[in-house]
Amino acid sequence: MPAEDHVSPVTKQNADETAATDRFLSLQALTKRYGDTAAVDAVDLDVRKGEFLAMLGPSGCGKTTTLRMIAGLVPTTAGQIVVAGRDLTNVPPYQRDMGLVFQSYALFPHMSVAANVAFGLEMRGMAKADIRARVAEALQLVRLTGYEDRRPGQLSGGQQQRVALARALVIRPLILLLDEPLSNLDAKLREEMRNEIRDIQRRLGTTALFVTHDQDEALTMADRVVVMNKGRIEQTGTPEDLYERPRTAFVAAFVGRTNRFPGTGAGEVVHVGGVTMRCARPVSGPVEVMIRPHRIHLDGAGERRADDNHAAGTIIRTTYAGNVVQYDVQAGDAVFNVEQSTDATGALVSVGTAVTLSWSVANTLVFEAAP
Amino acid sequence: MDERPISRILIWLASASFLFLLAPVLIVIPLSFSGDVFMSFPPSSWSLRWYASIGQHPKMIDAFFFSLKLAGAVTVVNLLIAVPAAYALVRLAPPGAATLMSVLTAPLLLPTIVLALAMLIVAARAGLLATPQGLFLAHLVVTLPYALRIISTALATVPIAVEEAAATLGATPLTVFRRVTLPLIIPGLVAAGALSFLVSFDEVVLSLFMSGPRLSTLPVEMYHHVESRADPLVAAISVLLVLFTLFIVIVVDRSLGLARTFVK
Repeated sequence: MPAEDHVSPVTKQNADETAATDRFLSLQALTKRYGDTAAVDAVDLDVRKGEFLAMLGPSGCGKTTTLRMIAGLVPTTAGQIVVAGRDLTNVPPYQRDMGLVFQSYALFPHMSVAANVAFGLEMRGMAKADIRARVAEALQLVRLTGYEDRRPGQLSGGQQQRVALARALVIRPLILLLDEPLSNLDAKLREEMRNEIRDIQRRLGTTALFVTHDQDEALTMADRVVVMNKGRIEQTGTPEDLYERPRTAFVAAFVGRTNRFPGTGAGEVVHVGGVTMRCARPVSGPVEVMIRPHRIHLDGAGERRADDNHAAGTIIRTTYAGNVVQYDVQAGDAVFNVEQSTDATGALVSVGTAVTLSWSVANTLVFEAAP
Repeated sequence: MDERPISRILIWLASASFLFLLAPVLIVIPLSFSGDVFMSFPPSSWSLRWYASIGQHPKMIDAFFFSLKLAGAVTVVNLLIAVPAAYALVRLAPPGAATLMSVLTAPLLLPTIVLALAMLIVAARAGLLATPQGLFLAHLVVTLPYALRIISTALATVPIAVEEAAATLGATPLTVFRRVTLPLIIPGLVAAGALSFLVSFDEVVLSLFMSGPRLSTLPVEMYHHVESRADPLVAAISVLLVLFTLFIVIVVDRSLGLARTFVK
């Protein structure tokens, strides 16, 4: 680039440093095609150094294929993978320095826990004494000190997962890649491991890429979330961005629970099955309207809040789930799902009660209907 | 293990079939201790003379050692071919891998006599009849399908993710195979090796076609002996062979058991 000739060396170096931290991992038009179908379709993505990024999407959306391309286990069809300024696209997996944690853990069943963790260091030709020290350190990190001589078959699922994590981290990888690491664990352990993985990643400052189909995992763990669908990125943003400001109907529906209505836009208002509501931006023609169940207030018939949108309806079903109650409310032709947190003194509203629903314009998300 | 009561009829059926399978072996044992000049059952007198007379049959002893060497060579070469072949078929899975596997294991389905006849014709042309090389190739053809099947099955049970994990940790493909894949398929290798050895060692039909007056395997030599003389010598040899086979099976079982605890 001739333009660089005019840039002073100092500025140039700063620019390089910024590039190295802001775009530590950079995917450029990354594509994987199997025959005619594109599993991953021209994905562009930049990941900052030290960032915890989640790739979220339904199965078959291309998130795992993307991860495996970064690890070097799946050859790319087109595009580039650049890590810390180095093009890794055609580098074999054993020269990439990626730490990969598999859904199935993929521990070496014929080796002890210590030998499993030591494997990557041995491959790097490290001295025996150094290996021992690093293995001990890594096992301490995942709270498995004392398990050195066990075989993977003698460990519980959670312990195996922690060995897999230690094995991937001990090589001090450029990027820690996690492929649905929690989906084989039971619910309670999953939550524990979420925090543990997050804490370890923060403490080490490792850049991490986490593939999951579980929106809770993505929202609670990640600094940034990439939502993928059909091989393409639907939206990239903080968990809050995705939840509060979804850019597509797919993201709104996939991230969090939502009421989803077909409607007709008429400028500032939308008509949904006999209910007219205002929305944040002018729309016309067929649209999809989404309102989160817990953003709708439920009051007695005739009681009106200052909220901008209202609908009168009747409760047709009540579902009690401990911390929340869900009401299905028939309003016009539409059935609204409304969620309220419970409190010890509040009584449930019974089926058949006439109520008023209110919700703000900001919570009335409108998307062009899919053709 | 859940222990359910086994129906009485089943026990009877099982015992009957065991007896049917083992009866010939059970008759061979008393026969080998016969003191008679001819094979007859039950023997009229008892002695160890037929065991002692094995030593006076150098052809028998030569044939035994030749069979041993042949089976050993067949087993080693068999594994050297079957492991890479199975790896290519299972892991690299080229287009047509399934068809190729069927072709390679086809000798299992072919009547041995047909195979033997074909080999006889080919070997006669190539001047390999009654040569160690000819017998070696013939035995390789019949044992390879077993080894290929067993090793392919063993390979298929090693999860690819485990090999991939090794690769991401810095192991080259060869190191992955040596450090991860190979140790995990050892039980399969032992089983395939033992079966190749025993099939080669016991092979009669092929060897009969491929051997000559100056070179024959132990089973063929025994067959010729029975053809010309009806003394209980072969019974004595048979008992020794049963013990030998049993020994191999026990060794295999032990090492397989070892491999299993090693892998667990």
